[in-house]
Amino acid sequence: MIADATKLEDGAELQADVCIVGAGMAGITLALELRHARIKVLVLESGGWRHDGRIQALYQGEVADERMHSPTDRYRRRVLGGSGTIWGGRCIPFDAIDFETRPYIPDSGWPLCHSDLLPYYHRANEWLEAGDFDYSAASSLPGAHPVVQGLDGGDVSTDGMERFSCPTDLARRYRHRLKESPTVKVLTHANCVGVSLDADGRSVRALACRTLSGLRFRVKARRYVLATGGLEVPRLLLASRDVIPQGVGNRHDVVGRYYMCHMASNLGAVRIEGPLTRVFHSYVLSAEGVYCRRRFSLPARLQRSLCIGNVVARLHFPVITDPAHGSSVLSALFLGRRFISYEYNRRLQSARPVTAADHLRHLRNIVTGPFELLEFLAHWLRRRTLAERKFPSVVLRNRTNLFSLDVHGEQAPNRESRVTLAASEDELGVPRIRVDWRYLPIDVESVRRTLVVLQNEFHSRGVGSLLFDEERLEVDLTRWGAYGGHHMGTARMGSDPRTSVVDADCRVHGTDNLYVAGSAVFPTSGQATPSLTLTALACRLAEHLKATVARETT
Amino acid sequence: MRVVVLGASGFIGGHLTAALSAAGMHPVAASRRPVAGGAVETAAVDVLDGERLAAVLSGADAVINCVCADARTIRDGAAILVEACARAGMPRLVHFSSMAIYGAAVGILDEEEPLDRGAGWYGAAKCEAEDAMRRYADLGGVVLILRPGCVYGPGGEHWVGRIGRLLRVRRIGDLGAAGDGRANLVDVRDVAAAAVRCLQASAVLQPVYNLAAPGAPTWNRYFALLAKAIGATPLKRIRRFQLQVDAWGLSVGLKLLEPASRRMMHGASHLPDPLPPSLLALWRQDIELDARRAGADLVHRWTPLEEGLFAAADWFIRTYGPGAAKA
Repeated sequence: MIADATKLEDGAELQADVCIVGAGMAGITLALELRHARIKVLVLESGGWRHDGRIQALYQGEVADERMHSPTDRYRRRVLGGSGTIWGGRCIPFDAIDFETRPYIPDSGWPLCHSDLLPYYHRANEWLEAGDFDYSAASSLPGAHPVVQGLDGGDVSTDGMERFSCPTDLARRYRHRLKESPTVKVLTHANCVGVSLDADGRSVRALACRTLSGLRFRVKARRYVLATGGLEVPRLLLASRDVIPQGVGNRHDVVGRYYMCHMASNLGAVRIEGPLTRVFHSYVLSAEGVYCRRRFSLPARLQRSLCIGNVVARLHFPVITDPAHGSSVLSALFLGRRFISYEYNRRLQSARPVTAADHLRHLRNIVTGPFELLEFLAHWLRRRTLAERKFPSVVLRNRTNLFSLDVHGEQAPNRESRVTLAASEDELGVPRIRVDWRYLPIDVESVRRTLVVLQNEFHSRGVGSLLFDEERLEVDLTRWGAYGGHHMGTARMGSDPRTSVVDADCRVHGTDNLYVAGSAVFPTSGQATPSLTLTALACRLAEHLKATVARETT
Repeated sequence: MRVVVLGASGFIGGHLTAALSAAGMHPVAASRRPVAGGAVETAAVDVLDGERLAAVLSGADAVINCVCADARTIRDGAAILVEACARAGMPRLVHFSSMAIYGAAVGILDEEEPLDRGAGWYGAAKCEAEDAMRRYADLGGVVLILRPGCVYGPGGEHWVGRIGRLLRVRRIGDLGAAGDGRANLVDVRDVAAAAVRCLQASAVLQPVYNLAAPGAPTWNRYFALLAKAIGATPLKRIRRFQLQVDAWGLSVGLKLLEPASRRMMHGASHLPDPLPPSLLALWRQDIELDARRAGADLVHRWTPLEEGLFAAADWFIRTYGPGAAKA
């Protein structure tokens, strides 16, 4: 059932077998997976069904360098469904190499491997409505036109692909399941403000909760799961200092450290030789009707020999802000960027001031290419606005064989990149966060070497050319700062409590009943977007909780 | 062993008769209009005709009831069958019930789950038929009740033929929330094997068994797998609104026209398949049959879905032709 915490009595004490804090992707997946387990599940969600500015403001915090990181209340949502209400839908599993300990990437390595996660990846794919768990274009998209003819089979893999969720907002999509379940209760407008430990600091005694309407209540459960995302998890742990002064799970000063996003940008100039039909850069529909897109990546052996992180690149339209592209669609997007939400318009901001002349040239593009724009708008209306399964992004028809590269790369773990508590507090008295995101030279170097391989491959195989400015690469990669929305690593998983916060079961080291679900536990960031993997980890945690809680209750 | 199969001309009955022969038993294929000419002995009988039924059952060691019909035939037929068995020397009785007796229940259900008598005419009739079977046990008869989920396989009109046709014309596909109930599928060969096992003396048996392969997929997933197997891809996302219009608008009319169409076409309706609202309710229902009991006693290996679908899709393509994937 779904209930509202503001209807509780002040001072109430709620009981459950499992209490999940946060009804975002991880929390809802966990609750859904536990719905038939005959255990009582309570989900605490700060928001309600609708976005509310006062609730969202609880996310406000400080950023050390505003050029490097977006404000802390952006790219996430304090509502039922969490940031899953605004995600783009991209699903990609981590590669096998992402789980390995790689000597050239300090602090890399997961305490589990790809095959441990495989059964849960299948389930995650289904919850997120991304079709089969098959991320090979050869088997998923038989007969599809190659991305670029003549590029297959060399140092660059074009078999890897991403699948797109609807994008599915788990709260709305599975609302009926949550509502009808007799054992799962979702409590809206319920803010967890502190984790209270027993005197010996080994178990959680209760969660302290408040509502914005002024109520206080407590939750007691056998197991507690923090599923509040990569920024709120360290905040809650660090802010709960009544027994352990450094914060829960933070005896070794690891909570909030190793904060990772991704290195991403839109850069370079690709020219493909030959006819336009040589390239197919758009989405392909899989048999299950799921939009899929292929991309370039380097095989694991090459990553190892080059000592680099995992980086992927997709063929993308030319840089949007420069009217030289001549596209009416891109110019219309640029001129209309004010009407696009913050999270999706950041990359439409120009690096240099936009002059009146630029505006005129964009306008000219629109006036001279009205049919392209109309065709695009009709497609967008039909396949995106009105469709339940939405066309994932703007893709332009290839008219010139000229592209840029959309690069998305791994950020290596960095102890100095961290989330700490700020001096100020939010409306409920919880200290705000301060984000100091930092990257390492290897993060830029991984992209550079990957691009060089691509460059050589394009050239040696007679496919075309790739030009990019090596001198400016770091500037290009950090033009918009950390890639928004992928908050990882702040409660990282590992077997050594001195360098990790949770163990392989996602249980906080040194506690016996506190767990973390979500991308906070990722020890490394990989090339993949975090949603699918955090959903898979939630499925895996559900399995663990089912087994251990059922043993206690019977 | 002489085993009378009631409803032998049906989908399950046909597979069952073959399985009995293969197990070295002597099946008698009984139905209202039996097709003679095969190697199997046949008998013409209407289950509502107690006299005739008792005559057919005399000398039988066992009888398997897989009659599929209207509510009256299910309900009264079961009562008449129990009486006829009592008069014919109390043969062992295997009765095909259905997961429909659990009605609208959700969760993982084992055989101890109470019956839900208020959910639709079919489930209600099946509940009453089970009551009749329990009276047979009270009389001292040996009766086993099988409650299969959705039985699919070659020749399966309900869960292969109809679903396949609807997929090909894109009336169903990826249904989103309308299709994330569990499809408690069971291969017809597993069902036949379970029934045969019920007759074997060595078996240690419980009175009731759920029959469904473990790891039930969602209906959406089943539709995707079947669509791939019969070439009805790419799967189309169907909006809730379209399904509602189909079920409440189009399908009610089709259902009304069906008898007339059958008369005109000499038995076979050539109208599009109706999509009754009860079917939509099933596709949403979060119900999973716990068939571990049958797994332990009756079915030593459940046919995996991929394997079962291979045979089912092969039948579909032979019957309806290969599909052309839409570009």
